[in-house]
Amino acid sequence: MSHPSASTSTTTAPGGLMAYRTIDIVTAATLGVAFGVAFWGWNQLYLLIANISVFAFPPSGGLLGGPWLIAGVVGGLVVRRPGAAVATEVIAAFVSGMLGNQWGFSVLVSGLLEGLGVELVLAVLLYRRFGLVVAMLAGACAGVFESVYEWYSYYPDWDLGYRLAHLGFFALSGALVAGLGGWVLVRGLARTGALDAFGPGREHHQRHAS
Amino acid sequence: MTRPEARQHQLRGAVLRANPLVLLAAGLLVVPGSFAVRSLPIGLVALGAYLLAGVVLLPSLRPALGRLGVVMLASVMVVYSTWLLGGHEVDTALTAGVRVLVLALPGAVLAVYVDPSRLADELGQRLGLPARFVVATSAALQRFDQLGQTWQHLDRARRARGFGPSRNPVRTFGYAASLTFALLVSALRGATQMSIAMDARGFADAHRRTWAEPVVWTVEDSALLCLGIALAALPVILYAL
Repeated sequence: MSHPSASTSTTTAPGGLMAYRTIDIVTAATLGVAFGVAFWGWNQLYLLIANISVFAFPPSGGLLGGPWLIAGVVGGLVVRRPGAAVATEVIAAFVSGMLGNQWGFSVLVSGLLEGLGVELVLAVLLYRRFGLVVAMLAGACAGVFESVYEWYSYYPDWDLGYRLAHLGFFALSGALVAGLGGWVLVRGLARTGALDAFGPGREHHQRHAS
Repeated sequence: MTRPEARQHQLRGAVLRANPLVLLAAGLLVVPGSFAVRSLPIGLVALGAYLLAGVVLLPSLRPALGRLGVVMLASVMVVYSTWLLGGHEVDTALTAGVRVLVLALPGAVLAVYVDPSRLADELGQRLGLPARFVVATSAALQRFDQLGQTWQHLDRARRARGFGPSRNPVRTFGYAASLTFALLVSALRGATQMSIAMDARGFADAHRRTWAEPVVWTVEDSALLCLGIALAALPVILYAL
């Protein structure tokens, strides 16, 4: 038996799109917790690395933003339901904030906006496409949302050209680290069998069935 | 009559007893509030008010000072970059730095005192968020402590087999990445098992749900919420004047 769309990452979530199963919620939250811890780790490293990048050319700090966008991309690619990307990213932001960060609760605003960036791309495609290009677009869009928010919260006095450079760097980092990286991570997780209840897991088995 | 030191003690415990929704609101309201920090005096007054509230209300200043140091680092980066890219104006740059302190410090400090389980109870019962989502998320958060233990098990198992980290930083990074991946797989398998266990107990199809813990809202919570609103509104009012 061969499925025409087996290799194109188009398996939609079972039941109606909004028919969240328990496993959908628990998995999104678990991914959120795990990425929250990873974000916290990245926050520490960022304090070190960002000093170098900021003192060299401040907008290049946007290049370091990608890792914070990955939770939403992975949550969206795995669960494939409206709201999963936002939920995963917000929970990750919450956990990283509880562990202690340098941004206070504004991290929740960031998490919400980054999740919405991913969600926007997935929603435009009606939660039917979850391939590499979609993942990279979602990561880039999350980067754009976060960068524009930082224009207002952190860098309102930068000249516009520099703010646009920050946006470009952030979107690039989002596409590569969160988009490409998230997609590769989901593939890897699917290979272990940990995602058998989800679209990526089923697609993995379909790819290797023949 | 309460003795002065007893009163002080009560005040200092206020943040510990506070409803997590109040802490969350206080930390979030300052985000739009900080946007009104458009001059150095406004920023310094707003920051001073938060510092004063912190000195009076926090049970201990030690964790707050740690957070202050980290937020200061972020603030210094903003000062420098704003000076460099915003026309070399020292006043604008310093204002931007103080704005970041106002934005981040209250939430960074209050985060220490938020109890996630209590917050979930409040979100489900007081704010009426869908119970199934709140409870399942809270259940997943409960397993946070297990992550550290699993990490130790994975680490020990690899070291015992001679696959431990080396002194080479690149390989150490690779080791950390592979452990993280294994941790993620283990967490996802745990999530699958937990959801099956929850559904076996009728979690998905329950019609009438009850909560183990009641939620309480005290006069003190109302007072703290008002204080949080007033502190966040302070820069806005000063800017409007």
